[in-house]
Amino acid sequence: MTGFIRFVGLLSTIAGVIAALMILVSVAVTCQMIFVRYVLNWSTVWQTEFITYLMVASTLIGLPYVQKLRGHVNVDLAPLMLRGKARLALFYTVVGLAILVIGGMFFYGIEMWWVATSKGWTSDTVWGVRLAIPYFAVPVGLGLYLLQLVADFLAVTSRNEQPFGLAADQGFTNTERKGH
Amino acid sequence: MDPLLLGALVGISTIIVLFSGISVAVGLLVVSATFLFFNSGTRDLELMPELLFGKLDNFSLLAIPMFILMGASIASTRAGADLYEALERWLTRIPGGLVVSNLGACALFSAMSGSSPATCAAIGKMGIPEMRKRGFPDTIASGSIAAGGTLGILIPPSVTMIVYGIATETSIGRLFLAGVVPGILLVSLFMAWSIYSTSRSNSGALQARHYSWSERFSILPRVLPFILIIIGVLFALYGGGGVATPSEVAAVGALLCVVVAMIVYRLWDVTALWAVLRDTTRESVMILFIIAASGVFSYMLSSLYITQSIAQSIGALDVNPWVLMLFVNIFLLVAGFFLPPVAVILMAAPILLPIVIGAGFDPYWFAVILTINMEIGLISPPVGLNLYVINGIAPDIPLKTILKGSLPFVGCMVLAIVILSIFPQLVTGLPDMVMGPST
Repeated sequence: MTGFIRFVGLLSTIAGVIAALMILVSVAVTCQMIFVRYVLNWSTVWQTEFITYLMVASTLIGLPYVQKLRGHVNVDLAPLMLRGKARLALFYTVVGLAILVIGGMFFYGIEMWWVATSKGWTSDTVWGVRLAIPYFAVPVGLGLYLLQLVADFLAVTSRNEQPFGLAADQGFTNTERKGH
Repeated sequence: MDPLLLGALVGISTIIVLFSGISVAVGLLVVSATFLFFNSGTRDLELMPELLFGKLDNFSLLAIPMFILMGASIASTRAGADLYEALERWLTRIPGGLVVSNLGACALFSAMSGSSPATCAAIGKMGIPEMRKRGFPDTIASGSIAAGGTLGILIPPSVTMIVYGIATETSIGRLFLAGVVPGILLVSLFMAWSIYSTSRSNSGALQARHYSWSERFSILPRVLPFILIIIGVLFALYGGGGVATPSEVAAVGALLCVVVAMIVYRLWDVTALWAVLRDTTRESVMILFIIAASGVFSYMLSSLYITQSIAQSIGALDVNPWVLMLFVNIFLLVAGFFLPPVAVILMAAPILLPIVIGAGFDPYWFAVILTINMEIGLISPPVGLNLYVINGIAPDIPLKTILKGSLPFVGCMVLAIVILSIFPQLVTGLPDMVMGPST
C-alpha cells in the first residue's frame, strides 16, 4: 500500500510541475501577445484562447499536487473540536464524500471529452481549436485528483498519516494554521 | 418546496459541510451535487464538469495567477526585510517612528505580495523583535503587524478585488482604484492608534533613531525596483488609456518581478525558482478551483430558483437601506470569522450585489466595505489566520496577547466602515476622477 501511495504522490508531483510550467508558458505567451498587439500593431489570432485554455488545464492538472501539499483551503473547526475515533470517522466521511463527488465528475468528464472528440467539436473562434484538446484536461485533472484523494484515504487507514494532518492531541489551544 | 425554505436548507447544509474540514471547493461541489441530484436526478450532475470548465474558461482569470506570481517572487526574497529597513531609515523622524514605518512596510509589502500571511511573516520577523527591543508593548508590536498584514486584500493590486470583479462582473481596474483611499485611511487609523496607545504606556519607545544619509540611500537600490514595477503596473492599467487589461498588465508585472528578484536578490538557483513557482501554483490552483466550484454552486442556486427568490424577498421588504446594509455587514462579518475571503466573496457577492444595488448602494463602495469585513475576519478568532502567523513567528507572545493587541485594530476597521458609509466619495471619488463616473 505504501508503494501505491508513493506512486500516486509522484504522479501528483509530476502533474504539479506540468501545471507550474503551464503558468510560465502563459506568462511568456501573454508577453508575446502584448508585443504583437501593442508594439507591432498586428492583430492576434490564437493567443487569448490558448492562454485561457492553458490556465484551465493548469488549474485542473494542478489539483492533485495542491491536494498532496494540503494546499486546498479548508475550515478545520469540527476536526479540531473532535478527538480520537470521532475525528477519524469525520475524516473518512469527508474524504469519502470528496471521492464520491470527484469520482462522479471524473466519469462525466470522460463522457464530455468523448462526445467532443467523437463529434469533432471546435471552438467558435477564428482559431477554431478542436475542443477535445482543452477538454482532455478535465478527465486527466479530475482522475489524478481522485487518485490522490484515494491515496490520502489509504494513508490514514494504513496509519502512515494522521486524519486531517492534525497531531492526535492538536486542538484549538495548540494549533498552527497555513494558507492564503 | 418553497425556494426560500430550500435556500435556508442549502445555507445550513453548506455551513455544516464547510466546517467538517473538507476543502472549500470540494465542499461546494458536494452541496451542489446533493441538491442537484434531489432536484433533477443525474441530469444536472452530468453538467458539472462542463460548468466547472465553463467557469474557468475566462481570460480575466489569468490576472489571478499572474498577480500571485508577482507577489510570490517578491515574498520569496529578502524584499520584506529590506522594505522594512528602508522605511525605518527614511521615516525615523516622523512621530511614531518605528511603528509608523512598520505599518507603512506592511501596507507596501502586502500590496506588492497580495498575501496577508506572507506580509505578517516578512515584516513581523524583523518588526516585532525590533519593536519589543525598543520598548513597545507586546500588544502593539503583534497587533499592528497582524492588522497591517490584512491591508493586502484592499490595497491594489489585490487578488481579492480581482475575484470580486470576476464574481460580480465589475471593472477590476475601477475596483483597484476604489481600494486606494480606504487603504490609506485604514493605515492612518492604525498608525494613530499605535502612536496613541504607545505614548500612553510611557515606554519611551517613540523616540527616533538617527541614520546618516548614506545609510538611507544605500538601501534604496534593493527596494525601489519592486515599488517602481507596482507603480508601473498601475500606470499601465490607467495611464495607457486603459487599453491593456489587468491580465496583460499582470503578466508583464510578473515577468519583471521574477527578473528583478533574479538580478537584485540573485534568485538564480533552481530550488529557489521552483519555490516561487510552487507557491504560485498552489495559491492560484486553490483560488481558481474555488472559483470553478462556485460556478457549479451558483448554477445549483439558480436552477433551484433560490438566488432569484432571495433577491425578490429582500427587494419586497420595506426596510431602510442602511438597516439592510447593517444586516449585510453583520452577515459578512460572521462569514469572515469562519471562511476565507475568496470563499465568502464567491458565495455571497453574486447574491448580495443585486440586493445592495437595488437599495441604492454603489457596487464599488460595497466591494470595499465587504473587503474590510474580510480583513476583520483575518485577525479575529476562531480562524483569524494572521493571529496564528504572528504566533508562529513570535511564539513567546501568547495568543491571548496577540488577540488583545488586534482588537483595537478591529475597532479601527469598524470606524473606517462608518467613515466610508458617511463619506462614500472617499471610495468612489478616485475611480470616478481617473476613469469617469461608473455607469
